[in-house]
Amino acid sequence: MLRKKMFRDIRQNLSQFITIFLMVWLGVLAYAGIRSYMDGMTTTAEVFYRENNLQDLNAVGTGFTDEEMTEIRAMDGVKAAERKLTLLATMVSEKDLTLQVNFIESNEIAQLYVFEGAEFDADNDGIWLDRFYAQNNDLKVGDTITLKYGDLELTREIAALVNVPDHVYDIKDESAIFPDHKDYGFCYLSAKELPETMRVFSTCMIDVEEKKQVAEVKTAIEEQIESVIVVTKAEDSTSYAVYQGEVEEGETYVGVFSGLFLFIAMLSVVTTMTRVVKKQRIQIGTLKALGFSKKKITRHYVGYGFWISLAAAITGLIAGALIIGNLFMSMEMAVFQIPNGAPAVKVKSLVVAACVVLIVCLVTWLTCRKELKESPAETLRTKKIKVNKETLAITTKGVFGKLGFASKWNLRDILRNKLRTFMGVAGITGCCLLLVCALGMYDSIQSFIGWQFDDLYNFEYKLSLDAACTEEEYNQLTADYGTASSMMLGIEVEQGNEKEANTAFVTDAGDYVRVTDHDREFITMKDDGVYITEKLAKLEGYELGDTVRWHVFGSDTWYESEIVGFDRDPQNQNLKMTRKYAESIGVIYQPDTLYTNADLSEVKALAGVELIQNVETLKTGMQSMVSAMTTMVVLISVVAAVLGCVIIYNLGILSFTEKQYQFATLKVLGFAEKRIRKIYVLQNNWLTIVSAILGAPLGYLMTNFIFTMALSDAYDFSADIGVLSYVLAIAGTFVVSLAMSKGLAKKVRKIDMVTSLKGNE
Amino acid sequence: MEELIQFRNVKKSYQIGEKQFNALDGVDFSINRGEFVVILGPSGAGKSTLLNLLGGMDQTTSGEIIVGGEKISDYDEEQLTVYRAERIGFIFQFYNILPTLTVLENVELINDIVKKPKPAMEILKDVGLAEHASKFPNQLSGGEQQRVSIARAIAKNPLLLLCDEPTGALDSKTGVEVLKLLKKQCEGKEDGNTVIIVTHNALIAEVADRVIRLKNGKIVSNEKNEAPKAIEEVTW
Ligand SMILES: Nc1ncnc2c1ncn2[C@@H]1O[C@H](COP(=O)(O)OP(=O)(O)OP(=O)(O)O)[C@@H](O)[C@H]1O
Ligand SMILES: [Mg+2]
Repeated sequence: MLRKKMFRDIRQNLSQFITIFLMVWLGVLAYAGIRSYMDGMTTTAEVFYRENNLQDLNAVGTGFTDEEMTEIRAMDGVKAAERKLTLLATMVSEKDLTLQVNFIESNEIAQLYVFEGAEFDADNDGIWLDRFYAQNNDLKVGDTITLKYGDLELTREIAALVNVPDHVYDIKDESAIFPDHKDYGFCYLSAKELPETMRVFSTCMIDVEEKKQVAEVKTAIEEQIESVIVVTKAEDSTSYAVYQGEVEEGETYVGVFSGLFLFIAMLSVVTTMTRVVKKQRIQIGTLKALGFSKKKITRHYVGYGFWISLAAAITGLIAGALIIGNLFMSMEMAVFQIPNGAPAVKVKSLVVAACVVLIVCLVTWLTCRKELKESPAETLRTKKIKVNKETLAITTKGVFGKLGFASKWNLRDILRNKLRTFMGVAGITGCCLLLVCALGMYDSIQSFIGWQFDDLYNFEYKLSLDAACTEEEYNQLTADYGTASSMMLGIEVEQGNEKEANTAFVTDAGDYVRVTDHDREFITMKDDGVYITEKLAKLEGYELGDTVRWHVFGSDTWYESEIVGFDRDPQNQNLKMTRKYAESIGVIYQPDTLYTNADLSEVKALAGVELIQNVETLKTGMQSMVSAMTTMVVLISVVAAVLGCVIIYNLGILSFTEKQYQFATLKVLGFAEKRIRKIYVLQNNWLTIVSAILGAPLGYLMTNFIFTMALSDAYDFSADIGVLSYVLAIAGTFVVSLAMSKGLAKKVRKIDMVTSLKGNE
Repeated sequence: MEELIQFRNVKKSYQIGEKQFNALDGVDFSINRGEFVVILGPSGAGKSTLLNLLGGMDQTTSGEIIVGGEKISDYDEEQLTVYRAERIGFIFQFYNILPTLTVLENVELINDIVKKPKPAMEILKDVGLAEHASKFPNQLSGGEQQRVSIARAIAKNPLLLLCDEPTGALDSKTGVEVLKLLKKQCEGKEDGNTVIIVTHNALIAEVADRVIRLKNGKIVSNEKNEAPKAIEEVTW
């Protein structure tokens, strides 16, 4: 019988139950979807790295000989070692495309994952080609392509389309923000295809026995192998680090957002469920009077919450992985080259979904229990408002005593319904917080772009010099475009017993490249020591006046420099020094970049220059990232508004039912409808004001959290939210809240005095 | 004496399913100013309906209601609100006072809608509640709560004091006190209020100036009571 009643109740309260279903569904969908995407990213890469044996260490040297290879392989902890020759060749076609060509002798480490075609074989003279590159250039297995490198020309058939674990993320050079799989790719060939004289293997990939031996092996190779310049961990490679960075960045802000969504969604479920049970109080009393046991009734009502939220949680979980998980994964897998990218549902998502169901049941149980505590007779009578003299006493004295009737009435109503008030404030605060955060993220990115491209970069064009730039060419360039230049050094800094790879920026660019301090004020650099970025200094515990020991990669000369200042850089945490200082300690200044304000818009190429970049182009590249952010901002705002509406509406309905009787009395007394509506809206306005006061700073904190926690260590910028964004977010919150409460206040007209007052009998 | 209230062929019908049900079925009567009127009738007779129409809480289906020369049955919502605010004092069986306002505040509430209300404290003194002024309603007895509701109604100095079963929830002794209080409103003064009490307690009719009997939505009788008893003489 009760089951029949349940279905009928569900039909009668369809809109509420749909709300509960949708809220649970949306909350779980967002959470589980995003989780499955993050877990999918991690798992997919883990599997790929493990199964295709990503190298542990990369050694770069002047050319690894057979003897050295034997020596490395014999070292303690080394499982395998393979050498590799990498060069940038041109693929002959209508447009000149760049291919990074790798020549290998065997393929035990960083194994090629073959999508189509033959496995690697040193005796096969074909080309194992980057799959994305092949797809983007319409190349298939069996096609023939020609590679050109200097005088060398190789025309070969494509043997297979592949992915490689150390080519997960590949960009041509720093000017590219996103990988461009059409103009740039990689390929592998057997080393036998290369004339004997050209076989100078400058890279050696090492696979160690156990992870913990990595540091040990690194030092051993650096110390014992003659031709080594530097040994780096695979984790420090761009391919690995960028992917990992993507995962970590996602982890934080995605965690924060989905967590918050889940919270607000739960809040709306809780309020809706309370509404349903409250509406059923008379029925609860009847059931009890009929002799149903408390347990049975409770089970009956908890059943509502359980089945609905269970259905919503399960479908949300599945849809989350299928829709959101797949959507994000496919977006990522178009950038990163990893086979078999798929969302993964892990235990954590299941646990969270189960918790959601549990919370819904718990809330239903609690609300139910409250109603059941009363005697059936009491429940059957409409709820008489209980007034606790103690809590209301303060509101009769002092300032409160002088308040108008509307204020007094609302103040006491709030005091009497603390839980409801709290939920309302939490909901509206969440709504405001999300809006501030959404707009704040956009603002902060804009502020970052301004900092980097307007403040720090005070030039129009950046000329990256060719490594082969002759002195003559250089002199011509400086004569034409000025002498503002800089050099980036790859260095290692001594950190206790360890050495940390980093860079040092040596500047002779004057005001073309500026340096900022903590407050983004410009610093004029001194010539008697090094500057270190604030974030790095904090991380490593450097103080002003400390000495850092460092050396340039490939050189054994160690320098000791005093820290003479801290600077802040939004996307590079490193050392900076003036040319004068660098030369004073014996570093040879060999500029690799020139800066100029000359108009180079018509100039395509310059002798001795590898790359000409306009600051505006750099900025635009960044802006395209921002447009993705804009979509997200809109999405978050809409969801925030919807959730805010649901919560305000639910609480509004809840309180309206209770107040209806009092409003009817006011109506009888001759209060005009407008006045009563005002009284009703007043409380909501107060709560919204409080929520805005709470939500705005919380929104700032959350934005700040996202930028400081989610971005990798290289970045250093915090939330920078404009006044306008706060105003818009607060205005948005008020619009949502006011629209809902004004809408609800319309119900005052519908209050029929005669029936409302009769209801009390 | 002038006729303050006139009902002319007043009908109030409710649509129940397909059928029409007449809660009031052509009611005609008039009441003079300053009278203490009791409307009697069995349950379901239409007494509350009649009072609600007179109080401007509901609208007639047909017929005319004239109060103080004004045809209130033609009033729209807004005019009715003003009419209720300025002319009518309501007293219900279940008091209908706001639970979150103190006794004094419940009476002061009237300040918000009437231009020249009687001073709240003075009225509380009149109804004998001065010492309870700062209490909340649920700290009062039923009779005291009903007196708050009376105080609130008379603070307006209304033309009509309409009471629906004012003693229904009270015992005989407190009921008598409440009746005395109500009777006082239409006595003595030049511009005494007109008090209309709805009840199915026939004993109360004995103290009335006029008794109107209602049955099945129709007036059965409308008599002037030439020798009303003193309230002290009634008990039930
Ligand atoms: N909203 C309504 N819809 C339908 N019928 C109604 C409605 N309100 C009242 N009635 C009917 O009108 C008739 C008169 O009701 P009314 O409340 O005036 O009775 P009453 O004389 O006050 O009775 P009691 O002494 O029990 O309070 C009743 O039969 C009732 O069923
Ligand atoms: Mg009645």
